Amino acid sequence: MTRPDPTTSVLTGSAGTPVLEVDDLHVEFRTRSGVVNAVNGISYSLAEGQTLAILGESGSGKSVSAQAIMGILDSPPAVITGGGILFEGRDLLTQSPEEQRKVRGPGISMIFQDALSSLNPVYSVGYQIGEMFRAHRGTSKRDAKKHAVELMDRVRIPGAASRVDDFPHQFSGGMRQRVMIAMAIALDPRVLIADEPTTALDVTVQAQVMDLLKDLQRDTGMGLVLITHDLGVVNEVADDVAVMYAGRIVERGTVDDVFGNPAHPYTEGLMNSVPQVEAKGGRLQPIVGQPPNLAAIPSGCPFHPRCARRRLGADAAPGRECATDVPPLRLVVPGREAACHYSEEVLGV
Amino acid sequence: MSDATSGSTAASSARGTDRGAGWARTEPSGAAGAASQAPPRAAAGETLLEIRGLEKHFPLTQGVVFRRTVGHVRAVDGVDLTMRRGETVGLVGESGCGKSTVSKLLVALEKPTAGEILYKGRDVARMNRRALKAYRREVQIIFQDPYASLNPRMTVGDIVSEGWAVHTDVAPKKGRLQRTQELLDRVGLNPDYVNRYPHQFSGGQRQRIGIARALALRPEVIVCDEPVSALDVSVQAQVVNLLEDLQDEFGLSYLFIAHDLSVVRHISDRVAVMYLGRVVEEGTDEQVYGSPSHPYTQALLSSVPLHEPHLRGQKDRILLEGDVPSPADPPSGCRFRTRCWKAQDICAQEPPALVDRGQGHPSACHFAEARTVVPTE
Repeated sequence: MTRPDPTTSVLTGSAGTPVLEVDDLHVEFRTRSGVVNAVNGISYSLAEGQTLAILGESGSGKSVSAQAIMGILDSPPAVITGGGILFEGRDLLTQSPEEQRKVRGPGISMIFQDALSSLNPVYSVGYQIGEMFRAHRGTSKRDAKKHAVELMDRVRIPGAASRVDDFPHQFSGGMRQRVMIAMAIALDPRVLIADEPTTALDVTVQAQVMDLLKDLQRDTGMGLVLITHDLGVVNEVADDVAVMYAGRIVERGTVDDVFGNPAHPYTEGLMNSVPQVEAKGGRLQPIVGQPPNLAAIPSGCPFHPRCARRRLGADAAPGRECATDVPPLRLVVPGREAACHYSEEVLGV
Repeated sequence: MSDATSGSTAASSARGTDRGAGWARTEPSGAAGAASQAPPRAAAGETLLEIRGLEKHFPLTQGVVFRRTVGHVRAVDGVDLTMRRGETVGLVGESGCGKSTVSKLLVALEKPTAGEILYKGRDVARMNRRALKAYRREVQIIFQDPYASLNPRMTVGDIVSEGWAVHTDVAPKKGRLQRTQELLDRVGLNPDYVNRYPHQFSGGQRQRIGIARALALRPEVIVCDEPVSALDVSVQAQVVNLLEDLQDEFGLSYLFIAHDLSVVRHISDRVAVMYLGRVVEEGTDEQVYGSPSHPYTQALLSSVPLHEPHLRGQKDRILLEGDVPSPADPPSGCRFRTRCWKAQDICAQEPPALVDRGQGHPSACHFAEARTVVPTE
């Protein structure tokens, strides 16, 4: 078995040149009670027009990695301890704050889960959307407002011209999320990071918002990083998926491949533990135990204490003992990477 | 699988042997009045809880010194629902549809504006103190937020056993600690954790504490108000399985309230769909999910993202326009007509009754028509 350089992504090239590359990113939180290793060396790249879903449970590091890209980590306690974030080939982490600011907004922008707390309650939505133009392009107040109305139209807020002076609390959850999206796409970014954009929304509104994001992506060709814990959303929206666990990417490939036949026991466990709307289904098969504490990540494979397929001691192949040897993210079959010593078994190849 | 008559006695005697005699199910004396009228431990399928025309309107007030009522939020506005023994009834709907208010009304945390809740044939609103106390023991609730619903200053043991301070006859004072530990063990927690505080537990474990608290009073019915919504995907399944096991073991009936249509389908025998304070469709899980006949149910189901790559794009997408109208000023006639593609004049005039119009199960639509929305394998 050949093990390719883990930093080479199997997914680039197919959809075009990468706009955003994350290279071996490490983030830790230095707290009074110890160091919390939130992100432990993740790498991915995103091409224009591509939708990459980052799937993980709470505490898997999916949001922290996105905040690192946007430069909005709370620091301290968060520290980026290694790796690079390359936008159009240039490493953001080596640039001055002023240069970074020029990328964040026009180059990369982000929307958040909780639209109400992400919007300022004392300014009208039009003012907040227009702020993008005033801050980055020095547009006049009046023109900025005109742009805001156009954007609100574009994100399908009914009666945009009459609602531009309304305040966030006057909007419903779905409409607030649209306001956020309007702000995020204001400067035609090349990459949009959506951190659980529909988690707080009802399912019918979720469908509307996801549709809107897809349409906007088709019109602008931006790359979309979709951070979510919802397998259904990933399946319906994304091209590729990276599954995160304990601050690492444990599996990566196209959604069809990964969902059709997972190569990592954690992905497999997730698929089996979720009920589906298509059928009542039999008894659920949950993953045993709890997600790990990031201040004390298990040795070896971080998933091994919960893994049904783990091999310990004499059962394990040399150098592939689950409790001691950390499995690298490696190419298992063409187009698929997984961080498990026994992925071939999981896949059944 | 237990048929309730023999199953529950067998189960309780089994518990009696391995968990101490205190577990044998005895009717508490306080409930004697209510319980003697109902047949004890009757066969599965007997109606346990019946909701008729239930309404709850919250007043909207204005002014500080001179408060006056300017309107009402019709949170629940005419809900009918029946629950049989040993059954799980799922209640789904989007936020603001009134499903949580139904749960609060059921456990008598709120008083209904109109309508009645009949428990074993007796109206809860007209129960005397004694009967109400017994009712509150027999109908327990598990809340959504495992962080907010446990008192951070109380130990797990105190939380689980608190109900016994009121319902003293459920557990004799001696042996309460042992019984608390048995309960913790049953819900999958280490019995030695009895002196720990809620903050020392994860979300899934806290939800188990909430379940143990509900079980402590040996209820007949547990209202589960979004019990797994706050949990991680991998932990959700653990709690769902636990609830299913407990149901088999203790012959419980569940009202399972959730917005996650997949979870509701998985756990429920029958499902009711709510919209703006009313039930719009009701039936078995197969009827509601397989052949939904109310336009709202169809739209709701068509919005659920599917997990199977090969089913992607195979379903009819029904995208609803706009938002849910305010429950303070609901549309006349059919509540859904403002967003419905089938709406006609009659929909604005006449509220459709929740009846079977030939589609095999009740649906509150003048133009109900079964349609397959969710593709099957």
